[in-house]
Amino acid sequence: MAERRKFKKRYCKYCEMKIEFIDYKDLNLLKFSLSERFKIMPRRLTGNCKRHQELVTVAIKRARQTALIPYIVDRKNVVENPFDLIR
Amino acid sequence: MNNYETLYVLKPTLTDEETASNIAKIEDILVKNGAEILATNKMGMRKLAYPVEKNERGFYTIVYFKAVGSVIAELERNLKFNEEVIKYLTVKYTKKKELAQFEKLVTAANFVKEEPKEKEAPVAETTEVATQA
Repeated sequence: MAERRKFKKRYCKYCEMKIEFIDYKDLNLLKFSLSERFKIMPRRLTGNCKRHQELVTVAIKRARQTALIPYIVDRKNVVENPFDLIR
Repeated sequence: MNNYETLYVLKPTLTDEETASNIAKIEDILVKNGAEILATNKMGMRKLAYPVEKNERGFYTIVYFKAVGSVIAELERNLKFNEEVIKYLTVKYTKKKELAQFEKLVTAANFVKEEPKEKEAPVAETTEVATQA
């Protein structure tokens, strides 16, 4: 019981929105698959399908390279409102 | 000829004229090498997610163009040597779905130019703040 799932198993949000391609500049799309600390959320928690998870992974990595989203958020590098960056 | 998209970030310390001249310079390189520029999208001044060369902000610009592969090497070489450019990323669009998205992005970029009221309003605000600071 200790290892119970923190998140409810969900359907793929991207499939529901019928998205064919995820642009790395469109941060609102990336938001679903990012944790509070801007880590890429695993598929078992978000419920993304494999195809969209692969697309979103590439998009997030590109967004990180271009300083659109941070690589890490830790105690040294605190953001007051994490999702304030994404607008 | 392939479809490419290049995003680059200019230093926030530049004046408006300097940014414009830098953008013109980069587009000039593309045109000289026989690339066809489809659209440019100025995302404007944005806060960077992490400091780059001690800059907290940056001026984002995106160029959509058609070119032969060898142009990219020349463009990236120039971007690397240009000290005003702090970040750049080139993405190639090849697959069918990607190409459809590319067309959409190009038309969207051109659409914003014609009707700058909706999307460019918040951008203008941020640039004003930048000049004050």
